[in-house]
Amino acid sequence: MQYRHVQAIGGKGAAPDRFTATLRGLAVDSRGQLYAAGDSEIKVFDAAGRLKTRWPTAQPVHSVAVDSDGSVCAGEVGQIEIFDGSGKLIDTWRDQKLFGPVTAIGFTKDSVLAADVADRAIRRFDRHRKFLNNIGKDNQVNGLLIPNGVVDFAVGEQDTIYAANPGKHRVERYTPAGELLGHIGRFDGVDPAAFTGCCNPTNLAVRNGIFTTEKAGPRVKAYDFSGKLLAVIATDLFDANCKNMSIAVDARGRVYVADTVKLAIFVFEPVNV
Amino acid sequence: MSEDLTRRDLFAKVARGTVLATLAGGAGFLVKKANGQVVWQVNAARCINSRLGEVGVEACNLCTTECVVALSAVRAVNEYSKCGRCNICPAYFNITSAVNEQGQPSEKLCPRDAIARKPIGKVDPEDPANNFYEYLIDEEKCDGCGKCVMQCKDPLGLGSITLRVRYDKCVNCNSCSISRACPQHALMQLPVEQALQQVVLKRTE
Repeated sequence: MQYRHVQAIGGKGAAPDRFTATLRGLAVDSRGQLYAAGDSEIKVFDAAGRLKTRWPTAQPVHSVAVDSDGSVCAGEVGQIEIFDGSGKLIDTWRDQKLFGPVTAIGFTKDSVLAADVADRAIRRFDRHRKFLNNIGKDNQVNGLLIPNGVVDFAVGEQDTIYAANPGKHRVERYTPAGELLGHIGRFDGVDPAAFTGCCNPTNLAVRNGIFTTEKAGPRVKAYDFSGKLLAVIATDLFDANCKNMSIAVDARGRVYVADTVKLAIFVFEPVNV
Repeated sequence: MSEDLTRRDLFAKVARGTVLATLAGGAGFLVKKANGQVVWQVNAARCINSRLGEVGVEACNLCTTECVVALSAVRAVNEYSKCGRCNICPAYFNITSAVNEQGQPSEKLCPRDAIARKPIGKVDPEDPANNFYEYLIDEEKCDGCGKCVMQCKDPLGLGSITLRVRYDKCVNCNSCSISRACPQHALMQLPVEQALQQVVLKRTE
């Protein structure tokens, strides 16, 4: 399998479709719209990469996710802001105890998941915001190993939760109740099928496979669910100092990756060979 | 209180103890130097080994080769409060060496084997990835070559290791030979009081 770079969205600058200081989170919805969390703003791009709308968040934003009803959740420090699809604020969900920096948000059939960097865990709540359980915390080191400072996860088929555990060089699979089902990944500083450095992969997305990003040097890869490397999607487009590059994959198989230094979103699509 | 918080408390106490011990030693040597005198120190923001943004370049070892002291007065210092205590530490391991049966690199990075590591907290002897590790730099072995500093730097590491002039080793030359050789002008002279203050700020940030 191969991918080609087809587009760059955003970039550093003051124009409405650009980012001034940070680009931290990406998400796609069922219509192929791309949501970008950067600075203190959510930007929405259409499937062609044109800015459709944008709106401010109360704090610098760390993550973004789109629920099945179209509502948009923005992860911040100590809170999640919930907007409708047009950017109207519906609610602010504050929890100073269970939310540190919220660096990822996801949804299962009947629960909401939020990554809490402060406790190195994924918090699971029911739809009424009642805390249910932690994910990734019931282990020897009391949490995910994240020297990189970001907890990232994605929800796959049958509500399986895929969490990056960069300090272990693994992507771990969990049930919503927090039971560890298994993992893919291993350390190797040379083999591209493995993860290198102190702590990789930092971010991931799941759609018909597992897509990962790494830092030092920045790299994007695709795996099947057994952990077999399918493709090294990109390495050299990104600034060498990039880290914690958010990634999203749409229904067409297009891969969106945030360059956290150039503040651009690079788009890749699979090539049939 | 959770076990994790207990560990954090322990780290904090160890870090505070280390800082106090280092400061006590450093302050002792500084006080011995005359009041109003200036001392040499490495500016980590200028040193190419620690300066952010410089990736994919060889570590500079001029502090090793240019110092008039036989084993350079510049040594690597690990700031424990910033260290990630990683299983695979790029400053400790040569991360491109072959992987051993435990899934770890088989070679160390330091040519003088000056970094020691030990698991801390509740130890899992079966899987090294299940532990936190403490990394200790043996200053009697370290010659300030900067390799570990370059590898610890963000984004590969957390930048907890930097090069520092050890005042108990430095003979405080009027014209430091490292400063004359350093293309980054990273060696700078500071008043004793400011040098001590800088260490305090650096170590408690």
